[in-house]
Amino acid sequence: MIEVKNLTFSYGKDKQALHGLDFTVGDGEIFGFLGPNGSGKSTTQKILTGILKGHGGKVSLFGRDIATAHTQDFFQKIGVLFEFPYLYANLSAIDNLKYFSSFYPAGQLRDIEELLEALEFKRDFLRKPVSSYSKGMRQRVSMARALISNPKLLFLDEPTSGLDPSGAVLFRKIIEEERGKGTTVFLTTHNMLDADLLCDRVAFISNGNIAALDTPKKLKEKNSNQRVTICYLYQGKRGEKTIETPELEAGIPFPHDEIISVHSEEPTLEDMFIQYTGRGLS
Amino acid sequence: MWKNFCSLFKKDCQMMIAGKFFLLAFGSFLLYTLFINFGYIKFMNAELYHVYLYDPQGTQTQVSDLIYPVTSLEELEQALATDTTGVGIDASSGTPNIILYYGSEKVDRHRADYARSLLYPDNGYTAKTVGKNTPELKQRKEITCELLFIEIVAVGFLGIASVLFKEKQMGVIRIHAVLPLKKSLFILSKIIIFLLSDLIFAALMTVFNIGIADTIHILPAVLVQTAILSLIMALAGFGCTMVLNDFKQFSLAYLVIAIFAATPVFLTANTSIKMAWIGWHPFYQIYMGLKNAYFGTPITDPVYYICSACGIAALFIIIQIAFRKEMGKEG
Repeated sequence: MIEVKNLTFSYGKDKQALHGLDFTVGDGEIFGFLGPNGSGKSTTQKILTGILKGHGGKVSLFGRDIATAHTQDFFQKIGVLFEFPYLYANLSAIDNLKYFSSFYPAGQLRDIEELLEALEFKRDFLRKPVSSYSKGMRQRVSMARALISNPKLLFLDEPTSGLDPSGAVLFRKIIEEERGKGTTVFLTTHNMLDADLLCDRVAFISNGNIAALDTPKKLKEKNSNQRVTICYLYQGKRGEKTIETPELEAGIPFPHDEIISVHSEEPTLEDMFIQYTGRGLS
Repeated sequence: MWKNFCSLFKKDCQMMIAGKFFLLAFGSFLLYTLFINFGYIKFMNAELYHVYLYDPQGTQTQVSDLIYPVTSLEELEQALATDTTGVGIDASSGTPNIILYYGSEKVDRHRADYARSLLYPDNGYTAKTVGKNTPELKQRKEITCELLFIEIVAVGFLGIASVLFKEKQMGVIRIHAVLPLKKSLFILSKIIIFLLSDLIFAALMTVFNIGIADTIHILPAVLVQTAILSLIMALAGFGCTMVLNDFKQFSLAYLVIAIFAATPVFLTANTSIKMAWIGWHPFYQIYMGLKNAYFGTPITDPVYYICSACGIAALFIIIQIAFRKEMGKEG
């Protein structure tokens, strides 16, 4: 779906934003692009969506070189959720979606009200102006805007930003459903939980370079210290021991009456990010 | 493409209705019309110039009844000091010499001619009459032209900025970057809506303040000039909105345009102040084009229209670049 080879971009003489990125995104894959602010995530997404011109290297989308890919046909096949919920504040959710969907062929459009219902949008607000909505509601309408045209390639920039925990769970479910339909998702985020739960593969980007690229599981496994910490009760006393995982093969290798908990010391995706890039995500 | 344009056009209309732009334009039309019909025409009606004659030896024998005789040179000077638009004739030497109040000697040569015509009413010394406008119609055309010019330069310019700054603040311009539409349609839709609005405004102003009979003859030429000015102002407003960060900065730009663009035009066109370079001022050319259209002598020089078309095309290209930059900005 997406092929990027040696992608470079500069905002000026001394402002090199991307230093030769290489990655591919397969059909139906959820690909996470993880990095802190200013790392080059948005620049990459803008190049892929045709907003920024003048890049170096080779980029192809839907099997076509990017130089010729950004046609109206291309824009009919993609959906983009921006980091902020950009909407016409004086128009209602329905009017916003009617307006934005009017640029697509009628045959590929989803039903507006059904889509908003799936996103658990409050019906009372359907015809009220967006200016009266909470941030979470705006984010729901923005997501609906990105999904309204049944895109084959979905660019999502911080999709769960501004949502409460149940909203974030719902959005993750919606993104999973999209993948189930065969939609490819390019997810730009610095939310490690989203990346861990959703992405088939993630790329860590820092200072315009890809520091690591693999599945979240493999990234964590590769860097695991292969230890577990066990909390237990023995003769009425509470104890805690950290052992190497191979030691567990023959059972718990110390006397105990009751196991209270077993914690693997597998690193989190955020730990991995810091290890690979040398910087945090905030 | 047509469907996309209709969607954009409909949304822009909604934005302008929500922003009360049409209401404001209609309010301006009502205010201007009331001002012209019940204020300007009634109270600004210029009286005839008074002509004062000092002729102690009675050398002028055929003077008109409209001439006021004075008995001394001091009295003549006193009269001109009080009635500064009056014309004095000193015939004490036997030859009539025209005397005008200080500062107005370069203004109206036709006043001197008028004074001479009163001095020799039977000698066929009459000014040639050109045009068919009555003094009232002339005044109506002048003020309508000026107000229309102000409306388009100021209000139209601000109008497009107010709509666009809202869209800019809401961030929705960026969404259009990823929609399946030609990006230039976004610009075209806005420009055309303001163009139509200005054309309707110009037609209403002309019909209600000039009269239907005269409007029929001059309206096509007036609309052509209005279209040129409207397109330039709407494109300039669009460009400023894309380049500037907020409405405060835009207000400063607006002041600059008002001071450096409109002021010299009005000063040159309506006062005795002459600026040698004014011929190079594009707004002066357009203003004179509009004025000539109102007076039934529209510009026929193709160079004027070619320059206007090139200017509009150049602005459109610049704005497309600025628009693309705006779409690529961070949130």
